[in-house]
Amino acid sequence: MDETTFQDVAELALNGSGQLIPPSKSYLIEARLAPILRREGLAEVSDLMGVIKARPASKLGTEAVAALTSKTTGFFTGRETLTRIVDHVLPMMAPTAADNTLRVWCAGGAAGQEACSLAILLEESDNEALEDVRVEILSTDISEAMTSAARAGQFGHFDVQKGLSIHRLLKHFSRLDTGDWQISPKLAGRIAVRTHNLLKDASGLGEFDVILCRNVISGMARPMRSRVLLNIARQLSDGGVLFLGEGETADGLVDGLKASRDVRGAFARDVERSALTAAA
Amino acid sequence: MKSCLIVDDSRVVRKVAGRIIHDLQFEVREAGDGAEAMALCREKMPDAILLDWNMPVMNGLDFLRALRREDGGSKPIVVFCSTENDAEHIGEAMRSGANEFIMKPFDADIIHSKFAEVGLV
Repeated sequence: MDETTFQDVAELALNGSGQLIPPSKSYLIEARLAPILRREGLAEVSDLMGVIKARPASKLGTEAVAALTSKTTGFFTGRETLTRIVDHVLPMMAPTAADNTLRVWCAGGAAGQEACSLAILLEESDNEALEDVRVEILSTDISEAMTSAARAGQFGHFDVQKGLSIHRLLKHFSRLDTGDWQISPKLAGRIAVRTHNLLKDASGLGEFDVILCRNVISGMARPMRSRVLLNIARQLSDGGVLFLGEGETADGLVDGLKASRDVRGAFARDVERSALTAAA
Repeated sequence: MKSCLIVDDSRVVRKVAGRIIHDLQFEVREAGDGAEAMALCREKMPDAILLDWNMPVMNGLDFLRALRREDGGSKPIVVFCSTENDAEHIGEAMRSGANEFIMKPFDADIIHSKFAEVGLV
């Protein structure tokens, strides 16, 4: 790939999703765009960039951004946080839950592995505090390919063997003739899925008591990280908390979003929603 | 150093799994069938056993049932590793005393993840 094409792709990703693609990762571009090139009958990445430039409003640009950005993830990644959410954070919030419903948002949730892991922990929980509340989980991702996979709830042979014990696999999934595994209707019933770009306003998704946005912002340019966190923080309910990935922080990115006083490692609004602003 | 016995009639599988498990800081021994594995267990019980199902002489399931009746045979953590990966077969292996189950084919990440599930790493 020549320098001009690399610049075009990097700019497309940056504007589309905030993602920075360093020159050292240029080898990833071809691999990630290959399925689109194949489908469109194009030979080179530069051909695809030509088509996208000629038709900026087409769906192709959005698809390319999603392919460049979206990452796959595993079941029970960052297990300690997920366990803490189900064992402590949600039970703590349960008594004051509006309409007896707690809402959880997995932002940048790939094919739904994080949402599934939470749903599994909720199914297995015998915490009395959660008995009378409904916990709704929303998984969103920028990539429509990912969200269709999440909606289908089917996972491959290799995916289901990473992070899931055999007991959990047998209990919560059933094997299909294809060799893939399908999540149980019970788990699926707890999870809603939407395609959503975190750079966009998220008010249509509603308010959330717990938001997970892990390993999403670290690859973004700083102003985009601010924008994403601002969009997310505006959807936090009063008392709601945000979990970022290990080594990620909201410090200095959004005025009014601070380390939570109640939940270790999480962030919370300490001002009214309308007073949140991107830090200068 | 923890020890792991790899029981599989395929030399290639033993070699591939052996390298992965060695990298997880285990001392590795190998057996080509259940009878050979039983002899090695009687010499010294390993901490972990990676166990194939279909093998000549003594298959994995028969070995597992016999192992669990041996002195000290409840101690090793047994991870079944088989191409028999429908729910019935997996369930039978688990009821017979297996601690985890790997569906073949596997890779290093799967072995690592499964060993972590049962507290071996």
